[in-house]
Amino acid sequence: MKNTRYKMPDAGNNTSWTGCFFFITMIFLAACTPKQKDLPIFGEREVNGTDTIYHTIAPFRFVDQDSATITNDVFKDKIYVADFFFTSCRTICPIMKTQMLRVYEATKEMPDVVLLSHSIDPEYDTVALLHDFAERLGVESKRWHFVTGVKDSIYKIAQTSYFATAMEDKAEPDGFIHSGAFLLIDKKGRIRGKYDGTKPEDVDRLVEDIKRLRAEHV
Amino acid sequence: MACQLLFSCSTKEPKFQQYYVQGEQLYIKNCSNCHQKDGKGLGLLYPPLDQSDYVDKNLHEVLCLMRHGKEGQLIVNGKKFNKPMRGIPSLTDLEIAEIATYIYNTWDRQHGIIDVKETASVLNSCK
Repeated sequence: MKNTRYKMPDAGNNTSWTGCFFFITMIFLAACTPKQKDLPIFGEREVNGTDTIYHTIAPFRFVDQDSATITNDVFKDKIYVADFFFTSCRTICPIMKTQMLRVYEATKEMPDVVLLSHSIDPEYDTVALLHDFAERLGVESKRWHFVTGVKDSIYKIAQTSYFATAMEDKAEPDGFIHSGAFLLIDKKGRIRGKYDGTKPEDVDRLVEDIKRLRAEHV
Repeated sequence: MACQLLFSCSTKEPKFQQYYVQGEQLYIKNCSNCHQKDGKGLGLLYPPLDQSDYVDKNLHEVLCLMRHGKEGQLIVNGKKFNKPMRGIPSLTDLEIAEIATYIYNTWDRQHGIIDVKETASVLNSCK
């Protein structure tokens, strides 16, 4: 479209054509690349006059690996990444933990970013066990909370707040079905991204989106 | 020594190739979630297999733990691991031999084939 307006007389000359094409492309890119768009906001929304009410994570109360009570307040003014796992799982959880550890490393210099891993086998995954698990993974509890709690509350928050699958199923090899999703939550408790925590490329995208989200909040 | 008998075949033989290729597939399916595709393990949760004095020195135990699992403290390269590993009873003698052939001929190891007959006799005498 734009190219026609910049037609050069020596169009037959390859070198200048290439240069010209490059030049035009640069102008085109500079003019048309939009400011990076905000990340989408997941879930249903309600519009009340000029206000839009978005889906947010419901109130919760769990206990982490240091026996600290973990509620929504802990994540006030924080961006966080949530997932669902259990320590004795041999299927996708170890892959998810390897990938979450990458997120942990990538966000080291970001004090407003924390991680939240919920155990979906809270009877087995006691505070002591989660403490041992986190220590063996070599991570700090203030940046990565491993929580346990009432089983039904964990399943309910997974399904209704984070739109993630988590349930018991004795027919499965390890006794549970759960999704490998990582959920990106903004400072207002809204879901801003969903990633496959077993795929390194998807986790790369998550790390980029965390940076975008931080820029958005400034 | 007994170990040397296991490794008597040349690594170039078709049988070795077959064991190795099958072993790699089985390793990815059954072991790599925890021990990682590159064999590096994860923190102090899952011990490494690539550089591991334990793997180097304990072939018989490695064969047995694939089937029967392992519990309690395990020191690998001087580091203390202590998470139970559940065995995979559904693995056949041949499959365990193939996985072992893969592990013992990857990451700078060149032990040669770990044959199914030898594997079977080790598996019969697991503690």
